Amino acid sequence: MSTLTPCWSGDFAVQPAWGDVFARMNPAGSTPESVAAAERAHFDAELMRRMGRSDREAFAQLYDRFSRPLFATALRILHNSAEAEDIVQDVFLALWEKAAAFESGRGSAFAWAVTLTRNRAIDRVRMRKRRSELLAETTAEDAGTQPSGTGPDSADGLMLKEQAGAVRAAVAALPADQQRAVELAFFSGLTQQEIAEKLREPLGTVKARIRRGLLRLRDTLGGRHD
Amino acid sequence: MIDETFEEFASLYVLGLLEGAELAAFEQKLARDPASAQLVRELRESSAQLAFTASDAAPSPELRARLLDRLDTAAAWRKQSNVLPFRTPVWLPWAAAASLTIACAWLGQLYLGSRFEAATLRDQQALAEFELRSARNQLEAERLIAGHQLSAMTEQLAALDRQLKSEGDLAQFKISTLASLLGNSPQALAVAVWNPAKQEGVLTVEKLPALAPDKDYQLWLVDPQYAIPVDGGVFRVDPSTGVAHVTFKANRPVNSVAKFAVSLERKGGVPKAEGPMVLLSQ
Repeated sequence: MSTLTPCWSGDFAVQPAWGDVFARMNPAGSTPESVAAAERAHFDAELMRRMGRSDREAFAQLYDRFSRPLFATALRILHNSAEAEDIVQDVFLALWEKAAAFESGRGSAFAWAVTLTRNRAIDRVRMRKRRSELLAETTAEDAGTQPSGTGPDSADGLMLKEQAGAVRAAVAALPADQQRAVELAFFSGLTQQEIAEKLREPLGTVKARIRRGLLRLRDTLGGRHD
Repeated sequence: MIDETFEEFASLYVLGLLEGAELAAFEQKLARDPASAQLVRELRESSAQLAFTASDAAPSPELRARLLDRLDTAAAWRKQSNVLPFRTPVWLPWAAAASLTIACAWLGQLYLGSRFEAATLRDQQALAEFELRSARNQLEAERLIAGHQLSAMTEQLAALDRQLKSEGDLAQFKISTLASLLGNSPQALAVAVWNPAKQEGVLTVEKLPALAPDKDYQLWLVDPQYAIPVDGGVFRVDPSTGVAHVTFKANRPVNSVAKFAVSLERKGGVPKAEGPMVLLSQ
């Protein structure tokens, strides 16, 4: 059985020093998106610290902030709402258990949670060997889901909608070929070669599209910290 | 200095698309180069934002409640684990030593018991092997005896067969007594037995007169199919007793013997009787 190569195991101790990301940001060169992202990351880190002290309220707040994008990611990968919920449950329990070890200087809590969710979902897809069957399905056919164009009316919900809108706009601004390559790489669980075969493009072309797409998203969404 | 190739590797790395040697080489470089690590962190943060491009969907409301229940259970367990004081009792080493002693004794007993059991099993195995060998030997002996009995019976059968055959042959034998035709030896007597199957016979004579050196007695077999008697060969008698025991053959095939006759002929015999007849079957 093949397993997903972890690009981020969740073990912060093995990560390179994160540095004080936000302290090194250049406010003069920051975009509104990057400032908002820094504020969100700071707030999430505070929730994680409280969770590390067994604060249920902090956990509930983090759940309200993360559960929709994490569930949507798992669902997009698995195309099965029950399995997606299983994954989300496992991820939140892992966050709860490891919250005390979280250090904001090593990365954002959201990136950690997304990485855990994606890795587990892709592992499950590969385990059940239904990749080709799943890929044949369209995104709009997310069986068993109850797509919700409007999230909760809470402040977290509104913020999520803003964040999602900004990301979708950034992705939509990518050239179509880069957008397709990046989305396949993130959601499909395919290997480089399989992505190239699916897109019917040379492997080098696909790699270049993924590189350009991710760098452009970084620049647009404010992930760059020079 | 970060070039496009490295950027490419970093992009694939954060998406989990690097494998094997490429992955190992990239992680080595990552560990050595802070600028590279910084790029990877930035790309990882950006790629995580892609979660928002999936169609918006919410898990069931029950999941939140379920998770919070699980947290209560986990928290209670954690609290219990933290609250429970545990100081090493003074008697613990002694108890450990006693437990170890008991365990050693038990294991020793178990070992001895196992050895005894193994020895018993070995004895049983040896006995079974001995019985097997005995059974094989007995079987071999019985096989040999049966073989001997079979060959003996075969021989007996053959002997019986021969006997039956000989008895059958005997019925075909021609046995005749020959009386003297000599005036000077009236008591001379002979018995001739002819086996037609073998075309040979036995002649026993008594009290025949001794022969001159240039003479022989010659036996004749009278077969009706021939015009003249068939030559049965010459013989001489013991001069002192007149006795002779002779095995003879006819010099031509004989179907049946009507008479036997003995004549006195010149030394070496003659093809056709010339001399006086001294004995004739009755």
